[in-house]
Amino acid sequence: MDISEKDEFSAEKRNPDSYDLVSNPSGDWRVSGSNPIDSYPSENLISAGPASCSPSQMMDSFGQTLWYDPTSVQAVGYGGFNVQNNGGNASSSSFRGNIDRSLEMGWNLPNLLPPKGNGLFLPNASSFLPPSMAQFPADSGFIERAARFSLFSGGNFSDMVNQPLGNPESIGLFLQGGGTMQGLCQSNEHNVGDPHNDVSTAVKNPTVRSSEQAKPNVPGSGNVSEDTQSSGGNGRKGRETSSNTKKRKRNGQNSEAAQSHRSQQSEEEPDNNGDKKRNSEQSPNSPGNKTNSGKQQGKQSSDPPKDGYIHVRARRGQATNSHSLAERVRREKISERMKFLQDLVPGCNKVTGKAVMLDEIINYVQSLQRQVEFLSMKLATVNPQMDFNLEGLLAKDALQLRAGSSSTTPFPPNMSMPYPPLPHGFMQQTLSSIGRTISSPLSSMNGGFKRQETNGWEGDLQNVIHINYGAGDVTPDPQAAATASLPAANMKVEP
Amino acid sequence: MASADKLINTDVPEKDVFALHFLQSLSNLKTQNPLNSPAKSIDRVRKIKKAAYVSMARAAGGTSRLWSRALLRRAAKDDNKSVRFSRRKRKVTWKISSKRRKSNNQRAPVVEEAAERLRNLVPGGGGMETSKLMEETAHYIKCLSMQVKVMQCLVDGLSQK
Repeated sequence: MDISEKDEFSAEKRNPDSYDLVSNPSGDWRVSGSNPIDSYPSENLISAGPASCSPSQMMDSFGQTLWYDPTSVQAVGYGGFNVQNNGGNASSSSFRGNIDRSLEMGWNLPNLLPPKGNGLFLPNASSFLPPSMAQFPADSGFIERAARFSLFSGGNFSDMVNQPLGNPESIGLFLQGGGTMQGLCQSNEHNVGDPHNDVSTAVKNPTVRSSEQAKPNVPGSGNVSEDTQSSGGNGRKGRETSSNTKKRKRNGQNSEAAQSHRSQQSEEEPDNNGDKKRNSEQSPNSPGNKTNSGKQQGKQSSDPPKDGYIHVRARRGQATNSHSLAERVRREKISERMKFLQDLVPGCNKVTGKAVMLDEIINYVQSLQRQVEFLSMKLATVNPQMDFNLEGLLAKDALQLRAGSSSTTPFPPNMSMPYPPLPHGFMQQTLSSIGRTISSPLSSMNGGFKRQETNGWEGDLQNVIHINYGAGDVTPDPQAAATASLPAANMKVEP
Repeated sequence: MASADKLINTDVPEKDVFALHFLQSLSNLKTQNPLNSPAKSIDRVRKIKKAAYVSMARAAGGTSRLWSRALLRRAAKDDNKSVRFSRRKRKVTWKISSKRRKSNNQRAPVVEEAAERLRNLVPGGGGMETSKLMEETAHYIKCLSMQVKVMQCLVDGLSQK
């Protein structure tokens, strides 16, 4: 397949390009030239060129919107980091092969991608780079690659008219992957390029298709170009008005919205071709999704803004006035939290009904409070003894406790360790914060808190720790016996 | 639901934290009031209980939670110390609008009534709306059970001979 060869070639060619970050305004201009194409891209490629703003700025806005996508990154959950870090030159070819294959799959392309693929590589960007990136307009190598890829997909699947509409982002993603895998440059430069990719693919797609592919998809490509144009315009708007934070906020919804848009398009696929009107309706939608400038989103019913709002939808037969909607939201919130509480309160799983559940919860809280009271009473009775005969008691205690801690503690072992043990440094620190100096550092407690004989409250503390840890993970007793002979002078307690 | 997870954040520090705070406050208690002094046992119980609650509130994040704030405030009031917490945000006081709440009770009277009882149990619960109350209750329950465990361990360790 010659495309892959081309790709190789372009990869080689791209190398120098992507290294210098601020070069190549030409690439940008190419983008801008292809950007504002009206309905039939081949015609007024040049005329509409200046109409779009300076592409670098536009890209700036694009890039920054696409950049910070913490939510989606977290949602995606698999390692953009790993991929990026591992993917040196070695694995590049295989990955590209993957790309090619998945591109050949064509129709599955949007599905193949994680819906939130947009943010896949972006976390690195946010970590590596300062938010004010000036180097953006840099790498035209990505643009070129974008062109290749779009060419590729366009050539192969020219019958899929709406495909590029739907998947500029996905192609961008692939390009991101390709870019990283080819090991073109350091990771931050990747990241610089990454948001670019999306943009450039989105922009480039129609032109490449319409100019290079001979298949008669005119309405389709027109559709596409309209889309891109409006996206450009939207990007401009975004640059002018919306601040970074705004965009960042909206970013989370980007991918979902894009996805929905994609699906919408695929639904429309059968009857779309000549349907200009619908596309024009749609086109403001897609740039909103892509660029997240969100200017026009407020008016559109298809994707409601999700940040700060709770999107409520009344089902059939439900009341729709605002009060009942709010009430329903409130009830849902309450029941959700009830469910959360249900997990906490033992024996609450079986009961059904809110009132009963609440009763259970109340009972549990009351019992806990009573327990605290009871235990404090016990402690109050225990305390004087301790005061009198503290040393001997504790020494004895420590031995006994250690020996039979796992059996004598009233808690089952799995219950007493709901949380992982603290780092030992913390213990040291907090212990010293009690205000006593402990002459023997707690370093001897390292292996699962071995026993030490102490006096004063530190002894109790260590008892507690013994019990806690002993119940959870029983340290080998010989070890404990060895450390049991530690002299009591090890712990010096200031009065 | 990710947003729900974000909303309901009832992470509780580990048991050691509770133990440390409790022991600290107990040792404070001891230094304040030497134990061989003839103090009434009821007084002692009360003090220890208070120490338990206060240390729990401290361990559970101090003033970051409504219930712990309320506990600490109550404790400070008991001590006649004027402790000022930094106001985080103005919260709607639902106590004032309890009349309105009663009027709204037709939606789920039983639940509301139970929630009212829960409000009396959870410290600072009087000023919470129901969903917030649930959240705070969850956190409170976690902390309380943790504290109970710690105290149980302490009692066991001390009373065993």
